[in-house]
Amino acid sequence: MRIKYLQNYFLLFTLCLGSINLSAQSPNDAIMMPRKNLCTLVQYTHSAWDTYWEGPNRRTNANLGTVTTQNVMLMFNYGITSRLNVMAAIPYVWTKTSASYLSPQDGVQDLSIFAKYQLLEKSVLGGKFKIQATGGLSTPVTDYVPDFQPLSIGSGANTASARAILNFTHQTGLYTTIQGGHTWRSNITVDRESFLLHDILYYGNEVPVPNVFDASVRLGYIKPKFQAEIWTDYFTGLSGDDIRYNDAPFPTNKMSANSVGAYAKYYFGRLGIQASYNQVYAGRNAGKSTTISGGISYFFHVGKKPAVN
Amino acid sequence: MRSIYNTTRVLFALGLLFSLGQCDKTPEVTEVIPYNETNLDQNGGNWKTYVLANGSEIPVAAPEAAGSAAYLTELTDLKAKMAAATSDQKAIAQFWGANGVLRWQEIVRSLCAQYNAAPKAKDDGTYSSPDPTKPLELPRFPFANPPYASRAMALLSVAQYDAMVATWHYKFQYNRLAPYKNDSSIQPLIPTNDLPSYPSEDAVIAAASREVLKFLFPGEKEFLNAKAEEHKNSRLWAGANVQSDLSAGDSLGRIVANRIIAYAKADRMGQANNQAGVAALRADATTRGFTTQWTSRDLPARPPMLPFFGNVKTWNFDDATKVSLRPPPPPAVGTPAFETAIQELRNMAKTRTAEQWHIAAYWADGTGTPTPPGHWNKKAADLIYAAQYNEIRTARAMALVTTAMEDAGISCWDTKYFYLYPRPSEVDKSVTTSTGIPNFPAYTSGHSTFSGAGAEVLAYLFPASKAEVEAMANEASDSRIYGCIHYRFDSEVGLSVGKAVGGYAVQRGKIDGSE
Repeated sequence: MRIKYLQNYFLLFTLCLGSINLSAQSPNDAIMMPRKNLCTLVQYTHSAWDTYWEGPNRRTNANLGTVTTQNVMLMFNYGITSRLNVMAAIPYVWTKTSASYLSPQDGVQDLSIFAKYQLLEKSVLGGKFKIQATGGLSTPVTDYVPDFQPLSIGSGANTASARAILNFTHQTGLYTTIQGGHTWRSNITVDRESFLLHDILYYGNEVPVPNVFDASVRLGYIKPKFQAEIWTDYFTGLSGDDIRYNDAPFPTNKMSANSVGAYAKYYFGRLGIQASYNQVYAGRNAGKSTTISGGISYFFHVGKKPAVN
Repeated sequence: MRSIYNTTRVLFALGLLFSLGQCDKTPEVTEVIPYNETNLDQNGGNWKTYVLANGSEIPVAAPEAAGSAAYLTELTDLKAKMAAATSDQKAIAQFWGANGVLRWQEIVRSLCAQYNAAPKAKDDGTYSSPDPTKPLELPRFPFANPPYASRAMALLSVAQYDAMVATWHYKFQYNRLAPYKNDSSIQPLIPTNDLPSYPSEDAVIAAASREVLKFLFPGEKEFLNAKAEEHKNSRLWAGANVQSDLSAGDSLGRIVANRIIAYAKADRMGQANNQAGVAALRADATTRGFTTQWTSRDLPARPPMLPFFGNVKTWNFDDATKVSLRPPPPPAVGTPAFETAIQELRNMAKTRTAEQWHIAAYWADGTGTPTPPGHWNKKAADLIYAAQYNEIRTARAMALVTTAMEDAGISCWDTKYFYLYPRPSEVDKSVTTSTGIPNFPAYTSGHSTFSGAGAEVLAYLFPASKAEVEAMANEASDSRIYGCIHYRFDSEVGLSVGKAVGGYAVQRGKIDGSE
């Protein structure tokens, strides 16, 4: 099961301050699913913050207390060939605050599909160097409310993304991955007569949602049965405004965050268990969230030959 | 290498396809186009004013005659200005040519939205308060909450209307023809009409609006000066006024504005935020038997919003009428009628449908929006554009709507702090909301009162839209129940009082001389 970046990736699509900390990245993406192998993953994620950045200013808000986002995500990754994988993910998301009277939210969020293609694999310096590219699309599958920040379960936008992944894995099992991606996000429709963007009042209910750039650097160790890694991650909106003075976040806000994290996975034959931790340490218009997740994956072979990792 | 090229190409194509038309994330703006005003309202100078005694109270000197050397020089200057106008200036002429009254209403709505931000709590648990002497320091002054916005829009509209009545008086007294009527070589950039040009209605509106808004939004002086200058100059670039039309208009607009500002300084708004008086309000409500009283839901507890706004001077009725409009008390907490109302909200909080979410959000009009009075202001503006009103009729309609709106706010605030009725979530925390809980008592609903008044006046002005605006008001009123921040009786009683309040503006409209 090598699709961790996908499970993180979906989190980009939620504008909830608590859900942004893990963006697209993973060294393991550099390893493709073999042909006719299907991997399924069920993962639970818990993310919470009580401190956030209103524009550049770090603050807390007694009227919110702690904002918590949880999700259970179902994911699939299938090897069409050893160089071309397709993936899909769909999460169910819950959000709540500890102090406000605002109604908690929950629901099925966005369906994401991705294709990953291995452009290059070359033996060099006692290891392997790989270049991969992914393209993805996502769309909301339910009528959730995107303009109820910070409790909305998603941004409500359709997205498309393009991503490049560079990986070098030494024969000892040590590896490093650098990846970066760009996500285009559509305008969304909100239930408003007018809205402010950069302190200018616009009439209409079609709101632009900023596109996003993200990148990460990872260091890790991988063996057939075990894998562990640490990372640093950055993402930023490419347009948009700051959260207004003492106001709720809005879909037009330009969010950015820096985080660090760690991940480990162990396989028992076809079954894998995994866990991760991520901490945002700097940001703008984002929650200073702490995120943990745990998941179980399972391999199937679709066809004659059993799957061998 | 070929596969790399192909894949890259596919990815780029995908990205390009998706980003087409949205690389620039600035929303599109649909522009209103200048129109031809067919009805001149020749007797507009006799219409009933609000603050001025009448349209002739402020003297305006007679203009130079059409054949005079001074006027001919002005025409020559005008032609030179038109010839030198850049494409930007021509666009500005079009912008302001589409009803200057409504352009300034757009500005006030925009300012209200920008300044609609609640002060932050300080570390010691108290709240910072906006400082009129440092209006641009955070929190900016003013906090344009719904009562503030309702008053700002009413003051602006009354200034525009009284100024237009005076303008019309002198236009038809002096009957100076428009420059393009005096000199056929002048081809104006905007539709022409037979309205006398002295004093320029646009210069009057620009000056009156600028001065009133500078008083209300002291941090925006430069912005407002620039907008007014642009508005005035647009008439030269358009070929619609000579300089003396503008100078006389600017002077008249300024004088009218000063009269409105003097009114505003004495309308008791200055005492509306008297937090020291709240204890007495609470004691009075207790004496009346209202012992389960509203307290702030904000953490830390925020001082109630404008507890004495209910004492501010009303436009379309007197204080005694205001008291007579105050509705009977709501059901006491714990009574069967109360239980029925709160049970509806308990259910709503658990089972709010997508449609109810949409309606609650659409009418929330909270911080960062032009507030409910702004929502109705925009609706009025849309109906006026569609009806292609001239400036004086526009100003009259806006004054009727906005004064009704402020009266509604005053009337509602009077009721709110008379009964000090608790919010649903205070009585039962399981009543979770889909919008923020406003920082003032529940009974009656402000949105419902504003909307009832707005719809009543718009239904009078635009009978063909009666069903539409009444449906809007009902939806706005229901939205507060869907949001679970109001009991049904808050909304229903508020809507009905709002209609009664609006009725007083309608009565005024019927006898103001315009029909």
